[in-house]
Amino acid sequence: VRTSWITGQEALRQRLINPAQIAFTEPEAEMPPYMESFLSHLRLLVGVPFEYLIPDPRMLPDESIRFFYLDRSWTDRLVDGAISVGKVGTREQAHHQAHHGPVSQQLDFTERIVRDLQRGTDSFPTLKGTIRGQQPPADIITGFLLRSGAVSGWPTMDVRAYRTDLSEPLDPANPESLNQQLRTLRLERLSPSILLALFQGVPQLVYLEEPHHLIQFGVRTVGSQLRIDLRDSTGHQIRTDPNNPRSNPIPQTVHVRAAHNRVVAIANLRRDLITARNTHPQMPEQTGSAAFAIEVLSLPWRQRFEGVEDQAEKSGGSGAFVSVVMIGSRVTDLATKTAFVSVLAGGGG
Amino acid sequence: MADPKPGEMVLYDDILPPLLDNQYRMTAETDVSIDSAAQPLAGKDSFFNVEGPRFSLPATEVAGVFPPRNGHGPFHDSVPHVAIRRRTLPWERELDPKNVIGTPTRVPNVPPPAGTVPWLALLLFEEGEYSLLQNVPLEQVVPKAVFQSLGSPQNIRCDAIEASLDLVTSIMPSKEELQLLAHVRRVNKDDRELSIEGSDGYFAVVMGSRLPSGGAKCRACLVSVEERWDLVPKDPPPIATSIFEVGILENVAASLAVKAVSRGFVSSSPVLASRVIPGGNLQIQPAIRNHVFLPLTTRLILLFSWQFQTIGTGTFRELMQTLDVGMIGKVQNPGHPPLTDTCHLKVDLQDRAGVPEQVLYRGPHVPFELTRDPLGPYHSADQARRVTPETGAEDISYASAFEAGRLLAAADPRLGQELMRWRREAYKQSSRADSVARVRSDLSIAAQIDLHAPVIPVLTSKVVQSVTTGAGPIADAYSLDKIKNVIGLNPDAVQKAFELPSREAAVAMLGGDAGALGASVGAPAQTPREATTIDAVAADTAGLQRLGQSRKQVLNNVAVKLGVTL
Repeated sequence: VRTSWITGQEALRQRLINPAQIAFTEPEAEMPPYMESFLSHLRLLVGVPFEYLIPDPRMLPDESIRFFYLDRSWTDRLVDGAISVGKVGTREQAHHQAHHGPVSQQLDFTERIVRDLQRGTDSFPTLKGTIRGQQPPADIITGFLLRSGAVSGWPTMDVRAYRTDLSEPLDPANPESLNQQLRTLRLERLSPSILLALFQGVPQLVYLEEPHHLIQFGVRTVGSQLRIDLRDSTGHQIRTDPNNPRSNPIPQTVHVRAAHNRVVAIANLRRDLITARNTHPQMPEQTGSAAFAIEVLSLPWRQRFEGVEDQAEKSGGSGAFVSVVMIGSRVTDLATKTAFVSVLAGGGG
Repeated sequence: MADPKPGEMVLYDDILPPLLDNQYRMTAETDVSIDSAAQPLAGKDSFFNVEGPRFSLPATEVAGVFPPRNGHGPFHDSVPHVAIRRRTLPWERELDPKNVIGTPTRVPNVPPPAGTVPWLALLLFEEGEYSLLQNVPLEQVVPKAVFQSLGSPQNIRCDAIEASLDLVTSIMPSKEELQLLAHVRRVNKDDRELSIEGSDGYFAVVMGSRLPSGGAKCRACLVSVEERWDLVPKDPPPIATSIFEVGILENVAASLAVKAVSRGFVSSSPVLASRVIPGGNLQIQPAIRNHVFLPLTTRLILLFSWQFQTIGTGTFRELMQTLDVGMIGKVQNPGHPPLTDTCHLKVDLQDRAGVPEQVLYRGPHVPFELTRDPLGPYHSADQARRVTPETGAEDISYASAFEAGRLLAAADPRLGQELMRWRREAYKQSSRADSVARVRSDLSIAAQIDLHAPVIPVLTSKVVQSVTTGAGPIADAYSLDKIKNVIGLNPDAVQKAFELPSREAAVAMLGGDAGALGASVGAPAQTPREATTIDAVAADTAGLQRLGQSRKQVLNNVAVKLGVTL
């Protein structure tokens, strides 16, 4: 019997004196998809107990929003800790030591598809293909924690962040604003009233908007009279002066039932709207419930949070949105508060 | 239609399922005729039911409600509504398939609304107006005639709401109003938190028509009005002849307001009398009905309900406007909790010797940009412990992060397996790479061997190649071919250098024997012969002997090359 060329002992010795181990370009050195996905979720603090995030509840009181930068070292340690599972000897340490760099770089990319994975939009390999070679390789992560009754009362609100302070009216579907929008890495409720958002990059503008499927049907009480504002087929208010977006909207009186003064006379209101369309042809034709809903809905409220640039210099920081800079919440004018567009022409297309 | 763009919403009158919930019979018939004589064949009837929520609605079907559940706020200007994940739900059943209610009376110049009448209604009750009944038999909820219209389903228990008949009649939308109060919204799903997931962006919305009064505790109830022809009116009841509209004109074209008011006087109430109380409130006078023998309360099948209060501030806008805004680390009362300027929090801790100490902790959220620690990886939490030079206090932030990650990973059995698989694959391949490198050096194989191609055939062919090329005399193993080319040992060179007359003279000068000079021995002569029997070959002892010698030589060569004893 021939003696073997290499003994197990010798193989181990060779492996340990050779820190490069297997080249990370080899497919075998790649992380299994599940592991890569788990670690990239960890990168975005998925599953981390809340006490680790906010060690003292007074740091996030009721009805407050706190913006932050994500400490990359902290999340790197989280990943190190996860990889340390099953690391029983020097062999595993040597392996981790050799592969740390490539693993870390890979996770910098994979963390960008965590939200898509959470939403289940596509499979892991497909999504991974979409972000391969994206620039920049590692970016600053920012975000906010919101603890408010608005989180529980208005689930699935819209949250968007922009790298420049775009002014209203802001159409989020506009290519220009899409170009300025920061990638949302995570947007999740940690508890019924706490919302965590993470963005890739440093925003100058963050806004929260009422969820569209919960836009309410509301009236205005003027004296003892109930009114709604007439709206055109895209949901915008019709103004007394069509060229002046700040002129008064045209109201429509809402009648109530004789039998109960808080019950809106719906059929009667529709009749009034049909009549009103004779004077205001920009209103949608009252075909069915969809056209009716356009007239009676109130537009979503959009709350803007903007970085104040002129104070940034004082802090000596790298721009707005720095620690000492106050984040002003600005009440946007009712007339310009939203560029909500609703496409419609009745009829269940 | 394309998906709605961000910020867009598409509204639909209704979305109908291909088949409404019902019982169906499918009849299959085959017509066969032979020579134009019909052959009667038995048909086949199959029965199937299309079932959907009818007497109860899973809470998961409700995507959202407004006003928010248990919310407090000035919601007295908003009618409640509920968004349902299942976009076809309000139209999956027919309200009144036998048209007992009748077709609503048409008003001139007002076309009937497009769409379908839903079987759901959202009614709003204020505290004290209703009582909730849980898990009652269906027979006790709906009147007997309605129960029969529903198909007399047996052993159904459902939740119900009970309220005075007058109240329900006064707030129940008419058939046409019900239709106007339900629609489908399709919204863009991007940029939202995750609870929207699993939905396709479509929501069926059922609105109420009653406005809650201020300062009231309200309950909005999604009820089934299927076959409730006893409650749903054909035409809407008359509107209030509100005299107090006059004079409250605000930026209104006068003609419009007057028109609205004058229309208010058109109809009057034949059933319910109303009177105007000075002070502006319209109150309902209990009506004397001609069917007083009926129970004064009525019950409705309750599918879903939620409560809210119309007090205080609490609309989305107000909540947003009053938010306490700041970077992380801002506390309302400075010093509580005591945060350092680096946003570290002092935490009491007992070290592993049991000695209490105060350490610093900071979560992953920081109020300023930090550079990323390039000293990775860390193999243990202790490696990540830090001491602040100013105070000597220990900073356990990163050590805690390490432990948190370790515990999270350890809690996931599949991750443990995958980690081991990752290592195992890497070890396996690096061990293979080591072996291949060793084989290459031992067999003097110059060519690179691809780690992923099967190695055995490559090595075998290389081995056979080196064995066969090395099958000459053993002297070759010591590279005497090279030596004989050394000028002093090369007869041609010697002949040239010494200008000898012939090559033989040079050979003689160098020792005379070709073998001593390490010259290759030619291949043994082959004996060409005709095809023959194996016995004839075996009888050729000389040939066999030569074959044996060749084999021995090859084996010797291999042994010498590998430095092993065979």
